[in-house]
Amino acid sequence: MGGKKVAIIGGGVAGLEAASSLAAFGIDISLIEKEEHLGGHVSQWDRLFPSRRPAKEVTGHLTGRLNEKVTVHTGTEVQKIERSGKSWDILLNNSATIVADALLLATGFELFEARKKEEYGYGIYDNVITSADLEKKFARDGEIRNAQGKIPERVGFVHCVGSRDEKVGNLYCSRVCCVTAVKQAVEVSEMIPGCEVFCFYMDLRMFGLDFEALYKESQEKWGVHFIRGRLSEAFENQDGSVLVKVEDTLAARPLKMKVDLLVLMSGMVTSSGTKKLVDMLGLETDENRFLQPADRQLRANETGIPGLFLAGTCTSPKSIDETISDARAAALRIMEYLNLPAPTLTPSPNWGRDGEGAGTNNQ
Amino acid sequence: MNIEGKKVIWKEYQKEIAENDFFYVRSCVRQSFFPGSETTFLKILREELGKNISEHPFHTTCTGIAYHSDIVPFETTMTVIARQFALMTEAGFHNYVPSCITSFGMYNEVLDTWHHFPEVEKKVRRLLKEATGKEFEKPKNLVHSSDIIYKFRKEIAEKGKFRLINRFTGDPLRIVEHIGCHYAKIFPNKGVGGAEYPHVLAGLIEEWGGEVIDYPERRHCCGFGFRQYLVKANRGYSIACSQKKFESMKPYKPEAILTNCPGCPFFFDRWQYAISEMEGVTYGEDGQGIPVLTYEELAGIVLGYDPWDLGFQTHQVPVEPLLDKIGIPYDPARKYLGKNGENIGKPEIASNLKFCH
Amino acid sequence: MGRLYDLLNQDVRFIEGLKACINCGTCTAICPAAEFYNYDPRILVTTLQSRDEEQIEAILKSDFIWYCGECMSCKTRCPRGNVPGSLISVVRSLSQDLGYFVESEKGRQQLAIKRTVGEWILDHGYCIFPQGVEPESHPEQGPVWSWIAYHLKEVYGRFDANYQEEGPGILRKIPQESLDELKRIFDVTGGTERFERIEEFSKRKAEEMGKEFSPGQKSEYYFHVYNTNNNKHGKDEH
Repeated sequence: MGGKKVAIIGGGVAGLEAASSLAAFGIDISLIEKEEHLGGHVSQWDRLFPSRRPAKEVTGHLTGRLNEKVTVHTGTEVQKIERSGKSWDILLNNSATIVADALLLATGFELFEARKKEEYGYGIYDNVITSADLEKKFARDGEIRNAQGKIPERVGFVHCVGSRDEKVGNLYCSRVCCVTAVKQAVEVSEMIPGCEVFCFYMDLRMFGLDFEALYKESQEKWGVHFIRGRLSEAFENQDGSVLVKVEDTLAARPLKMKVDLLVLMSGMVTSSGTKKLVDMLGLETDENRFLQPADRQLRANETGIPGLFLAGTCTSPKSIDETISDARAAALRIMEYLNLPAPTLTPSPNWGRDGEGAGTNNQ
Repeated sequence: MNIEGKKVIWKEYQKEIAENDFFYVRSCVRQSFFPGSETTFLKILREELGKNISEHPFHTTCTGIAYHSDIVPFETTMTVIARQFALMTEAGFHNYVPSCITSFGMYNEVLDTWHHFPEVEKKVRRLLKEATGKEFEKPKNLVHSSDIIYKFRKEIAEKGKFRLINRFTGDPLRIVEHIGCHYAKIFPNKGVGGAEYPHVLAGLIEEWGGEVIDYPERRHCCGFGFRQYLVKANRGYSIACSQKKFESMKPYKPEAILTNCPGCPFFFDRWQYAISEMEGVTYGEDGQGIPVLTYEELAGIVLGYDPWDLGFQTHQVPVEPLLDKIGIPYDPARKYLGKNGENIGKPEIASNLKFCH
Repeated sequence: MGRLYDLLNQDVRFIEGLKACINCGTCTAICPAAEFYNYDPRILVTTLQSRDEEQIEAILKSDFIWYCGECMSCKTRCPRGNVPGSLISVVRSLSQDLGYFVESEKGRQQLAIKRTVGEWILDHGYCIFPQGVEPESHPEQGPVWSWIAYHLKEVYGRFDANYQEEGPGILRKIPQESLDELKRIFDVTGGTERFERIEEFSKRKAEEMGKEFSPGQKSEYYFHVYNTNNNKHGKDEH
């Protein structure tokens, strides 16, 4: 089978999909993940936009597609990477070494540290939380209460926290926060009948096919209010409620409002794992510190270094379906690089419906 | 509220404050309305801290108030500022300390402009030479006088005779801090603690035993607004801003307001009086106003200076109730006397504001 | 590009302060002038950004640009790095240099500021000269100011001031040589010219309005600009 080996750093959505895509062609995969669990950020989410399917469905599908060709190293980090000829020598922090013919970086993103947007008071005011905090409340608690244990009567969502913002050095849009806010607004409305929900946005980026329908549903079915104004400041009142200041730009009037819970839609930033590899490998990053591929349209999974590939949100913010497509594209590029002859299909679980498409099997 | 969250931010916004050898430039507003404060600043620095601080007799206004009222062009202000720097250079100093916050903002803005537009700096040098024959070096360190009190707050606490504690209840005094807008809003990294949670005054209150009170409109401008006060027809804006702050802080029951800008204490002091006359509303306890202090006045209290040397008699809102709480001794009979104890008249009593005579 | 926009673009603060506004409203949300006045810094910036000569000329002649208190709260927050508070300085400068400021009630007030703060700088070297702060026109300063104003030397003397004397100290007399230097600075930097234009355009406007115009703070025109408020500047007025 050629005995080719590929190492993948990052066991989130991109890493998992690339692993199973390559393993289906008989390639040995070492999947290295620093957390104890696979699935990255998606494993921490409750339900996903736009359909609100459980996140577990997606992570379950992705991990389920891993076959015996994939060796998983969770709770493991990379200590050193060296090149010898065409192969990569990867020293792990448990002293094991992996030798690979190609290396794929799928080190993903981290959420913007909301406390850096000082005027919103995250980490200072108890009822200011992030979208990730809220999602944990959905997943773990099944209910929402504020810091005083009260069920909120009014919830505010703040779009663009840490994105499109020169003041924190992130000039880009994080792409998925708008639709996440609308999804969470709907979920809060579902969970707390009669709760007033406000979204404070600059632009509503409903780019995916069913996103606009979700937005429409949020308005028609749930009465979510959309105010076009970027949050300027939040403050905590004596009773713990949060006072917010925005301009309702469509009415051209400043507006002050009290909410019981304020949810900050933290954007995506480059991960610390990526930063470590940038230093280790001398990689190029763009002005927003995401990894810079060889060409964002035509060679989005390649770097300038032969044998080193990129997949997922380490190069730019993406939705889950985009990440999966990108990971498969990376897998195909790696296959080209490894210069395999005619592909050999090995059946992998969850391939197509009812086990069909189990593959032309020319062993 | 989680104070630990603020502490993280305070650590991130620290700036270099020189140790000694300061070139001091006065504030137009403070000289006129809070003369005791600048005198106290120099006394603390020279006599308590043993510092070398110099005041050049030829220095003038930086024209900040005129600039922000837009009656002078930017070039004029920049060149006047260049002249001030020239005086500093001639006197052999490198550490520049303005007493006014608008000045502080102005100096930073000008230095930043010269940094981004070196041709503008060149032009100003030429204009200064043409007008006065002077040349200048830029300061190595530029901080506001409140930054220096902040830097030496521990030393002041050690020499202190009083703490900011209510001697009747044993509780720390509840003090609201108000930072001048031009201290950190223009360049957050030029302010200790940054623009959102500045520490330059909170640090003093904490170090000297008081309790810092935060409230929703803390960051709101006091309302000076330059032309919005200077012209009588506009004063509604100015008083409305101050009133908004008073109404916001009222539920938190502050016992004093601490400020570091020349205009802010002036407006907090006088607008409380005006509101009491116009609407019969007062914001302190029991028909009194909330005493408004400059940071030098607060330091002076802690060090046990005579309140009338500090200049409390020039305040409209009486400070005596606060002094009584702390246990600062003072002689009411000497409040309005002149330097040698002579009678120099006294103000009339305000109608609605409880006024100590 | 239009003439007015070109003139604005020559000011370094315009270049620094206008960085492509996305209309997010973060500035207006915390602007004190937007709270109380019929003002919106976001609209100021988008008007300038539009480069529309007619709109720019209109605001240069209206009360709109005179509401800002230059607190700079906007600068701290703008995600694009715009500075409405600085842009206000730029348009106010141009409005005065072109004489447009006399077309609005608030703009006409510049004469009052020039005759107080402006003249105090050149005559005394301070922006605020206590002798000029009359209790009668500053009732809000309370009885304590009336006391101080009529006993300036004695009250300041209480604090080791050097009131109008030579040498360092509070409210010292700034030497004539230094005041001469200030005047020359004003002459070479356009400050004197600005003062002259404020006077000249105000004089013409006074004639047009049929109001007596003379130096100092006592003329009919001066009293008019210092005190007049048509009460149409609030949030819901247009």
